[in-house]
This record gives sequence, C-alpha cells and structure tokens, in this order.
Amino acid sequence: MESTPIPSYPFVPIPVEPNRTQPRKHRDRNMTPTARHVGILCIAFAAGCASVKEAPPVVLAQPGPLQVAPSLVAPGPHSIVAAEPPGIAAKEKSNVAPIRTDISQSTDKVARPSAKPLAKLPAAAVAAEQVPKNVTPAPVAKTLEPPLDVAALKLRLRDTNAIGVLTKLALKNQVDDLLKQFRSRYLTGQKTSVANLRQPYDLLVLKVLTLIQDGDPPLARTISGSREAIWGILADPEQFKLVS
Amino acid sequence: MITPARVSALVFTFAALLAGPSSAAEDVAVLKDLTAVIVLLGLPCEQVVSAKQQADNSHIATCKNGMRYRVFVNAEGRVVAQKL
Repeated sequence: MESTPIPSYPFVPIPVEPNRTQPRKHRDRNMTPTARHVGILCIAFAAGCASVKEAPPVVLAQPGPLQVAPSLVAPGPHSIVAAEPPGIAAKEKSNVAPIRTDISQSTDKVARPSAKPLAKLPAAAVAAEQVPKNVTPAPVAKTLEPPLDVAALKLRLRDTNAIGVLTKLALKNQVDDLLKQFRSRYLTGQKTSVANLRQPYDLLVLKVLTLIQDGDPPLARTISGSREAIWGILADPEQFKLVS
Repeated sequence: MITPARVSALVFTFAALLAGPSSAAEDVAVLKDLTAVIVLLGLPCEQVVSAKQQADNSHIATCKNGMRYRVFVNAEGRVVAQKL
C-alpha cells in the first residue's frame, strides 16, 4: 500500500473588515456628531414630553344646581339596612328565611354541569338546577352590605387625593358648623327641629359627592351609600352623643 | 472648545429637567383646589385661571370671569375667600 503525501497549502490570511473586529465605540465614529446630537435631542424631548401629563379641564363650578351622578344617589331611606328602624328590621328578620351562606357554592356546582349537553344530565340534576331560582337573593345582598364605620370613612376622606387641602379644610368647617347646629338643638331640647337640618345635611353630602365623585369614585359610592346611616346617627341624640 | 461629550452632557441635563416632575401639574392642582374652595363657599367663580401664593395658606386667585379672591386660612382655622 502506497502512502500518498499530504499536500501542504500555503497560509493565506483572510481579509477582515476592520469595523467588525473593532469595539463598538470605535465603530460609532462613523456617525457624524451632528446626527448623534440630533438623535439625543429627539430622545430628550420625547422623554420630557412623556412625563408631562395633560391635566383635564377643571369643571368644578357649575352655574346651575349641583350635579351628582345618579348612581351615587341612594334611592331612598329603605335601601339602607342600618337606617331602618329596629322594629321593621326585626319583622323582616322574622319573615325572611335563614341566610344561606353556601348559595354561591351550590350555584357554582349547578352551573358547571350545565355546560355539558343536557341530554346526558339526569332528571335529578335538572331539578337541582331549578332549585336556586326560588331562592330570593335580597337577604344575601343585605347582609353583604358592610356596617357603617364612621372613623374609617373620616380617614378615607382625609387621605383622598381627589380634593385639595384647602377644600378639605373648607369641607371640615362646614361639617363642624352642621354638627354645631345639631348640638345646639339637642342642648335646647328641640328634638323635632332636627328634621329641619335634613336639607342642609343633604346639601353638604351632595357637595362632598360633587367634589370627589370624579377623583375617588369608590369613596363617593361609600359616602352615598352611608348617607342614611349617617343621618340616622345624627338624628338620634344618644348616638350623636357617642360620636361627637 | 465644545466637545461632543460636553454637548451630550448638556443635552442630558436638559432631558433630566424636562423629564422630572413638572411644576405645572402642581399648579393645576392648586387651581383646582382654589376653584373648589371658592365654589364651596358659594362665591361666583367658574374656574380659577391663575393664582399667586402670598403665604403658606394664602393665595390670590383670579377667576375666569375676572373676579379676584384672596383665599386664606384665618386664625380660627376657617378657610375664607375674600373678594378683592
């Protein structure tokens, strides 16, 4: 067996572009300084514009009557559980069946099989599906409504960013004025005239709602929902003493 | 001599100034606050268009309708809007 000699090739260096082997900063020198500065300026202005938030037009002053979103206004005194007289509440409790806390679970359980074809469902399951329809949701909705927490409400009003410091102070002045009127009526024993304060109270609540409904809708809803409950406290001399 | 590095530094300084929280937003908040106070006190003012701070809790507010008010907190802690 003959051995063939391995041919030797001469080493030929491959020419490489100088830009690819050099570091990035040297490559950038190809960009003209003017173009680089224009680019940086564009980025700077874009960054500056991005941070400036266009404020919405201030529409606080209204020449006509105060406008409050209808959803924020409570429909009536009977919509609030806490404002109901204890006698009525006791009657309702005796008439209403005990509250079922497992309703959501049971409806979930029923709702899931309904996704399957109805033909496969047994008759018992179909019957069970019809059961929750008879359950009245009203008692559950009433129990879900949280009780009024005046201190928490006060804190939320104090911490909200929907209104400025001066506005908060002006509102506090007006609330204090109203409380002073209540106090003076209770001191003089004019319990019947407390009803006359209902209108100023409603007006003050509407002012508060007007001020915060855009900036803090959840708080506005809470205040609107607590309106009757707060009035219940103010109109009751004993509860008023405890609060003030 | 103006080197590109210096120009870049200047540009970035301007960018930082522009990108930072502008005082315009604060001004808008003050104007809104003053408008709310004046309206809350039952005084005619559609919207406060400019305000000048005099002291910590004292502002001269100019309304869109040309009315000017001095809004301040008095010694009793009450917010007062005084027509000028």
